Amino acid sequence: MTSPSAPSSAVVLEGVRKEFSAKVALDDVSLDVPAGAFLVLLGPSGSGKTTLLRCLAGIERPTSGIVSIDGRVVAGPGVFVAPERRRLAMVFQDYALWPHLSVARNVAFPLAGTSRTKGERTRLVGDLLERVGIGHLAERFPNELSGGEQQRVALARALAADVGLVLFDEPLSNLDADRREQLRVEIATLTRAVGATAVYITHDQSEAFALADRIGVLNHGRLVQLGAPEEIYRRPASAFVARFTGLAGEFPVRVVEPVGRHLFRVTPLFAPATTLSARAVEPLGRDGDVRLFVRSAGVTLLPETVRDGLPGTIRDVAFTGRGYEHVVEVGLGATLAKVFSASRYERNAAVRITLDPESCLVMPADVAEESR
Amino acid sequence: MLGLLIVAPVVSFLLLATSPRLFQQGASYFTLRYIREALSGSTGRGIFDSLWVSTLVAVFSTALATLVAWLVQRTNVYGRRVWGFLMWLLLLVPTWMMTLGWGDLLQPYGAATIVGVNSHWLYGEFFGPLGIVAVLTTAALPFAYFIVSAAMHGLGSEFEDAARIHGAGRVRTMRTVLPIIAPALWSALAIGFAETMSDFGVAFTLGYHANFPMATYTLFAAISNFPANFSVAAVIALILIVSTIPPIALQARAARGRSYAVISGRTRTPRRREFGPVARLGVTAGLAALFVFALGAPIVGAVAGSFVRNLGIYTASGVHLTTAAYQAIVHPSITGKSIGAPLALSNQLGVVVATATGVLAYVLGRRLGAGHGGWGQRVTDVFLLGSVAIPGIVLGVGYIFFYNLSAISTHLVSLYQTLPLLMLALTANALPGQTRFLAGPLAQVQPSLAEAARVHGARRWRTWRVAQLPLVARILVWGWLLTFAKTISELAISQVLYPPSQQPVSVTIQAYLGNDQLGTGTAMTVLTLVEMLGVIGVVLGLFRLLTPRGWRRIGWSGVRS
Repeated sequence: MTSPSAPSSAVVLEGVRKEFSAKVALDDVSLDVPAGAFLVLLGPSGSGKTTLLRCLAGIERPTSGIVSIDGRVVAGPGVFVAPERRRLAMVFQDYALWPHLSVARNVAFPLAGTSRTKGERTRLVGDLLERVGIGHLAERFPNELSGGEQQRVALARALAADVGLVLFDEPLSNLDADRREQLRVEIATLTRAVGATAVYITHDQSEAFALADRIGVLNHGRLVQLGAPEEIYRRPASAFVARFTGLAGEFPVRVVEPVGRHLFRVTPLFAPATTLSARAVEPLGRDGDVRLFVRSAGVTLLPETVRDGLPGTIRDVAFTGRGYEHVVEVGLGATLAKVFSASRYERNAAVRITLDPESCLVMPADVAEESR
Repeated sequence: MLGLLIVAPVVSFLLLATSPRLFQQGASYFTLRYIREALSGSTGRGIFDSLWVSTLVAVFSTALATLVAWLVQRTNVYGRRVWGFLMWLLLLVPTWMMTLGWGDLLQPYGAATIVGVNSHWLYGEFFGPLGIVAVLTTAALPFAYFIVSAAMHGLGSEFEDAARIHGAGRVRTMRTVLPIIAPALWSALAIGFAETMSDFGVAFTLGYHANFPMATYTLFAAISNFPANFSVAAVIALILIVSTIPPIALQARAARGRSYAVISGRTRTPRRREFGPVARLGVTAGLAALFVFALGAPIVGAVAGSFVRNLGIYTASGVHLTTAAYQAIVHPSITGKSIGAPLALSNQLGVVVATATGVLAYVLGRRLGAGHGGWGQRVTDVFLLGSVAIPGIVLGVGYIFFYNLSAISTHLVSLYQTLPLLMLALTANALPGQTRFLAGPLAQVQPSLAEAARVHGARRWRTWRVAQLPLVARILVWGWLLTFAKTISELAISQVLYPPSQQPVSVTIQAYLGNDQLGTGTAMTVLTLVEMLGVIGVVLGLFRLLTPRGWRRIGWSGVRS
């Protein structure tokens, strides 16, 4: 298990739609995942990401559209390939470990029917369990393990399948923060080490940015943006994507003048005497209501003694381990959240803030409302 | 399938209540005459008796079951596993066996006389409403117990903690928490009522001998007497079924519009009330006394009575013990009183019916547990719920009537007075209850376990064999055993449908008891009970020996991974 052993599989979805009675869970979703890529599908609850993953796995049958894995149509008009014939593996949200089988037998499950001898299987299972750090738990039963250990068993079982595509259904959502971080790294390194294509779903944007080569954002069953993590963060295709991938705040502004192809000078209504630079996500006219979206990463907190920036007051502060996150009230009652600083500013302290134009996005208010 | 098994025989029989001419059973297409007839005389008294006895039994059994469930689930009473096991045993013993055991124990020159106890005074009381209510309460107790116990098991201690923290004393805490399990209490009341209304064993034995008519017996009498009156029987059957609607409606009303979902991932394991040493011994002794009364006394009565020479008959030289009754039934060549053939037949019936019911109930139970089916599933669900309330005697008489119709027996299938018809009726009788029994545990199996097997390369058969069967094997085995035991001791359907010269053991026993051969009947009862428990022991032993360790780790409510 130290080198890729199965060719990774490219995944293509074309116009996939899935309906449950009257409810449309997926609506015309098209995407392609190159072989060996790590795609994260990001979206809120009910956005259709689990349904999409289950359609890929063959657990659900799409109402229409085509799903291809490694060039072979596995679901389409008149075609439906059963899950066991799709040559993929999956890590389930609830782990789905069989409670009557030991850890070793859970992991060995996908190896049945392969050409490996019993000895080879035992060795492989042992190697995999060592690799995920639970070699000493091979004879235990799932209910004798902690949540993190159970998730490692599920990961080892998926890797044992030695297939070109591994699906992850919010595998870290049931774990505490410490274990999430640890297992996230292991999932990323081990999956890439075996060379498999990965499709991973989550509602946690930090998890998505940390893992993905590409991110697909889903909302109301539609794929609203697909791109590299940097692109999703810096150039969100809609207000929904901007909001879902993390904002410090969202405010009404007035356009003063364009200063570049996509750059504008704007005046926030919460501080009418100041102007800011911001990048337009959508085409922007000079008239009409406009909204400003501010990323947390683009907000810099400065002591009151500094002359630059807008004056503000600290309303709350939280220690995050590597520094402090502040809630800052600025101007006429506007609030910026998750403003990071390595230094602590006490509650009610007067401060100043500066905003990086690259982290300030503007779009017409009506467009922003539509994508809510 | 369900239509032929249950709907057609029952509905066609019930139609006779007002429309006897539909099936050439009378002159009128519509008449209320048989309703009037059924509501008067001894049949009317039987209906009235059944209604008040069932109401009383439902209240007593629910109250008692709640107390026992609380002691077992929520206190440190000794032997908690033992009491649970004894409840299962109580569930398996049919009411006619209990009646027989009590009769053997209490009757003059019976089992109690062996140890010099004069039970004449109690014997008279036992053959009356008091004995009937007592036996039926102990029979309904396990049904109520398992329902209330499951609800208490899922009720975390946080509700009690919250009440206590906010100033409630013990009584107010109980008054606050008990309504949370109100649906279970209503359910226990409804099932206790329905089970008692439909009981035939006590009505046929104790009720008959005590001159205390009950509805199921008067129904049986209506078709057994000459000339048979199917229309009056149909009215009684209709009343038996309709009588279960009010308690079920009350149960539904109590649960309507409120959420009683108490089980979640955050539910804490209930904390047990720690009795002091004396109180702990006291409540343990109380529980022991309950089971001595409910189970021990009738079993000891039957076993001891089976060894009494001339049981129930005055002998100048006093009471003497003998194995004559056993010798008589195991050496048929001497007396002609064989238990072999009837017991073998009942075992065959038990195996076939339990297996057929198990397979059908598994399929139906999975459909019910799937939870997102269409109208077909909802119809099945409602139908199975309703069918639980159809008494065995109604089904049996419905079968006699339906499969004896010339349209059926001449043109479709001729099953009247055959063993297959008896098997079909017993299967139809067991199916609704067995499906309900399996549906809950089957629904607890996470769908992702099967999905994981499919995704990792297992086909349907391997998925079922490796990822499904082990999780439900134990409940399937228990379900099989329950149906097997109930079939062997079943009386109502067997009594009306047994083919000539092929008597099941329960019918044979009643025949001996009815012919004043008390010793023979009692010895047969004891051997039947021993054989039944022996089969249960062997099957459970084999399950333990032959299944992998992992299979046995899965509890009834522990099927989630």
